[in-house]
Amino acid sequence: MSKYIIKVNGNPYEVEVEEVGVVSSNVTTATATKTTTKTIAPNVVKTTQPTSNSTGDVVAPMPGTVLKLKVALGDAVKKGQVLLILEAMKMENEIVSPADGKVAILNVEAGKSVTAGEVMVSIA
Amino acid sequence: MSQIEKIETLKSLKNSIALGGGEDKIAKRHTEGKLSARERIDLLFDENSFVEVDAFIESRCFDFGMQKKKLAGDGVVTGYGTVNGRRVFVASQDFTVIGGSLGEMHAKKITKVMDMALKMGAPFLAINDSGGARIEEGLDALSGYGDIFYRNTLASGVIPQISVIMGPCAGGAVYSPAITDFIFMVENTSQMFITGPQVIKSVTGEDVTAETLGGANVHTAVSGVAHFKSASEQECIEDIKRLLSFLPDNNVSDTVYFGETDCANRSIKSLNEIIPEESNKPYDMYEIISQVVDNGDFFEIQSYFAQNMIIGFGRFNGKSVGIVANQPKVMAGSLDMNAADKAARFVRFCDAFNIPVVSLTDVPAFLPGVAQEHNGIIRHGAKLLYAFSEATVPKVNVILRKAYGGAYIAMNSKTIGCDMVLAWPSAEIAVMGPEGAANIIFKKDITASENPAETRKEKIAEYRDKFSNPYVAAARGYVDDVIEPSETRTRIILALEMLNTKRENRPAKKHGNIPL
Repeated sequence: MSKYIIKVNGNPYEVEVEEVGVVSSNVTTATATKTTTKTIAPNVVKTTQPTSNSTGDVVAPMPGTVLKLKVALGDAVKKGQVLLILEAMKMENEIVSPADGKVAILNVEAGKSVTAGEVMVSIA
Repeated sequence: MSQIEKIETLKSLKNSIALGGGEDKIAKRHTEGKLSARERIDLLFDENSFVEVDAFIESRCFDFGMQKKKLAGDGVVTGYGTVNGRRVFVASQDFTVIGGSLGEMHAKKITKVMDMALKMGAPFLAINDSGGARIEEGLDALSGYGDIFYRNTLASGVIPQISVIMGPCAGGAVYSPAITDFIFMVENTSQMFITGPQVIKSVTGEDVTAETLGGANVHTAVSGVAHFKSASEQECIEDIKRLLSFLPDNNVSDTVYFGETDCANRSIKSLNEIIPEESNKPYDMYEIISQVVDNGDFFEIQSYFAQNMIIGFGRFNGKSVGIVANQPKVMAGSLDMNAADKAARFVRFCDAFNIPVVSLTDVPAFLPGVAQEHNGIIRHGAKLLYAFSEATVPKVNVILRKAYGGAYIAMNSKTIGCDMVLAWPSAEIAVMGPEGAANIIFKKDITASENPAETRKEKIAEYRDKFSNPYVAAARGYVDDVIEPSETRTRIILALEMLNTKRENRPAKKHGNIPL
């Protein structure tokens, strides 16, 4: 809900304007009723998600349990692709590939517990 | 000598000093992807705005044949100019003049512009490209470092200080950048370390290259020493200009106002659907940040280090704001030592320069683990609590989802001085997660039950319904209002406008004793 002061023939009217797309509620004004639509497109800039290291070793960032493997040994993977889901801190954390390449080493399977710093996957 | 001849002599002297170590040495640097000390200055400053100081300085050292060497500007170019119309002081080391090594007079040039920057209240920028102390000058060179560190410390919190590493920066030289507010590095051409690969090899036997020991990747991702890395020197200088655009000139000047470039009342409907239904599913905090700040313009700091914590600058209604946010996508957004250090130092920078802090909270806990405990998560986590408590700038906190236990208190909570705490309906603010809490509170019920697993499940659900919401906290006033996610931007702006005149008196003291 945005408030505007609109002057008509010198008389100011306070107008509340609601954006469309919402189940409309009453539009109230002091002495006049008027609706306008205003669209502002947010200029969203996607921030790039940087990777933690440049080497191909994917280590467990914290202790947890491997919930699901999304790749198999020898699979070609892209940088940023989800390799596995690590359940830790009550969160299903997506562990992503640090680089383009192939899954060269796969040290974990679903259900395996890992400690922080343990190499889970290696991309070559 | 006639007056005309004297003027000609002056011109030729200046020309020869401007060449530094000579054209061939500068050409060689270009092939290495490095610019000369003066080219860097030209790129940084507005055209023709740079004014040099102390071009004629000479070394006073006459030992080891040094008197025979003519050192242009004693290996450093200093002066001042404007960056996008705003005054900045600079010292740019010249590697072509005996490796940019730091001697007595070289240091005096640097400390002179530092004193000027401090007196005039303008940012100071040091471009580091030096082999280290000039050994021939002995203790005088070493003392030069001390003079610089001392001024870095005096200026800390008074003027923004930025260090740019564009070559080697080794030994004692690293500590000037380390004291300053922000460090920029360039990939493959800049390194920072206390002891180099050769010394390490002889002492510990470890084999390491300069780049893997102290390159831009290491310091921006692993050690957390540096804040920014760029692929080239040109990109690096553009990043510096962007950083400067968010900063005030000094600790008493007003924040730069960029004008209203984005609608303050912009409703963001997509935020209503951004939190996943299950609280164990991550989402990307960047999507929220980029939608709430002006024009989606977010300038991140330390983007490769402790990625579970996001820090950086954005603008709300044209004014700079420091943003501190947990990242649920990385380590579940938990607070570990590095995340606490990263955010604490940033909050203190913002506080020193009157930049309001807006935090976006989704934090499950401090990270458990023997390594965290043994390496001092208590000591590191305390910094974050201290920094938020100590900050007297306007502080706004929006709790998006999880806010549990001590981590909730540490993340800019009401009780440590936040001015305006807003919560989304998805917020879960409680002393601990439902699983842990149910195990403790309903221990007897669960053990006495014929079907403990089932009872446990029921009790967890019971606890979740009762306490994992924003209304318990709101009922106590720990949350000032529960808001619809789509109105987050508007509500942050309203809070910041209200807080614009905030004044807060604290007990008089020399300084506090932040846990380090």
